[in-house]
Amino acid sequence: MRVEQLYKKNAHSWMVMGRDAERREEVIDTNHYLIQNNGRGLLLDPGGVENFSVVAAEFSKHFELANVEAIFASHQDPDVISSLPLWIQANPDLIVYMPKIWVSFITHFGVKLENIRPIPDEGGVITLGGHDLEVVPAHYLHSSGNLSVYDPQSKIFFSGDIGAALLPDDSTNLFVEDFDEHTQYMEYFHRRWMPSNTAKMRWIAEVRKRDVEMLCPQHGAIFKGKDVARFLSWFENLDLGSAWSNVR
Amino acid sequence: MSGNLHTRRMGEEYNTIFRQCVSLNTELHKLVPLAKQMHLLSSNAVSSAARAGSEGDAFRVLTQDIQLLGDEVSECIGDTQKVIAEIVKLASNLAKLFTNYIIYIDLKGRIGEEESSLTSARFFDRGHQMVVEELRANNYKLSRSLGVLTNLLSPIAILVKKGEYLAVCSSVEAASAGEHGVSFEAVSSMLRELVGQLGLQSARQRSLLRDLSDAMEKQQNNQRKLLYAR
Repeated sequence: MRVEQLYKKNAHSWMVMGRDAERREEVIDTNHYLIQNNGRGLLLDPGGVENFSVVAAEFSKHFELANVEAIFASHQDPDVISSLPLWIQANPDLIVYMPKIWVSFITHFGVKLENIRPIPDEGGVITLGGHDLEVVPAHYLHSSGNLSVYDPQSKIFFSGDIGAALLPDDSTNLFVEDFDEHTQYMEYFHRRWMPSNTAKMRWIAEVRKRDVEMLCPQHGAIFKGKDVARFLSWFENLDLGSAWSNVR
Repeated sequence: MSGNLHTRRMGEEYNTIFRQCVSLNTELHKLVPLAKQMHLLSSNAVSSAARAGSEGDAFRVLTQDIQLLGDEVSECIGDTQKVIAEIVKLASNLAKLFTNYIIYIDLKGRIGEEESSLTSARFFDRGHQMVVEELRANNYKLSRSLGVLTNLLSPIAILVKKGEYLAVCSSVEAASAGEHGVSFEAVSSMLRELVGQLGLQSARQRSLLRDLSDAMEKQQNNQRKLLYAR
């Protein structure tokens, strides 16, 4: 498991964890993010039951997890959030931000409503230790209720499954090294899992309104610097929902 | 014996218990069509008695007992369906809780090995303890539900005896009912077959229930040893 600090200034920081070498072959590799502000923590897409102990143990080395006050779930998938009951058992006061339309589904994991703060379709703001993070709608990319997070201070944009790549098992890079080479690992994922070109264009327009230095997906490598714009252009020209020939 | 070995045994035992609960559930569902057939048979018996007029008077008395038998079997099966549904749910919960138990053990081991960790392994004590308590509570509820199921199934053996007796009585009536004896004998023969099937099912279920209770007992021993080992 690799852990790296993406940003740190004063009491504000971002950390990423990924490339879990211990994971079972059939389990998709996932990235997990921890934002810290003034000693308070927010976990983004903390992952599934499968890797709860690895994620918790790794982040424990870098942060007092008792100070994690909230979890953000970009959508409802098990690789995103099925570890939730274990986090809440450890800290019953934990707040969970999630797309409003998934509340009655995620509660099937055994989570109580009192822990949940539903985020409406239009997005909103999450405040962490006095610092505001923007929640940007990303519906149908891929889930019908899907959210991204933008941090104006660090200029990091957490994109969930957008920008995800199914990397080879021996890949250890946390960042995209060669964008053109990298597209081969992203194309099928986006064409197969994402259904709406309209939703894609709306999301791209939202991202372009913001000053983004890093685009951080839940799977695969992180885009930084000029690769962010490259990714948006590549994504703009991709025909989503078009992987039918491989399905039939 | 090491804690790890007990942990592995407990995991195996929970899987066994869950599989046995599912098998028992399947077997108990086989009783439902038997109860329906018993009701159908009692309706046929009433019709046969009515067609026989005064020659069917004695058989009519038996049809009331056949109807009562059908009702008792249905009632017994209805109650067992509710209890077995609860048992399967509890067994499934136990398997899930045990997975969470193992996850917390693994996590605490990982944090414990890391001297520079900023989070103490004790932070996860609460979650770990909650899982242990839920395991205990589920074990207790499952044992209790198995006891209830055993009590619910025990009258079936008596109902089988009662059915066999009614079949013999029906045959006797058939022998003395002249031309109507043919339809009485058909009822008697069908009743014998149904109670025979009920008897076989009941024996199979008692055997499954015994295996399940044994597995629960073993599991509880393992749990005691595991907690002692830690």
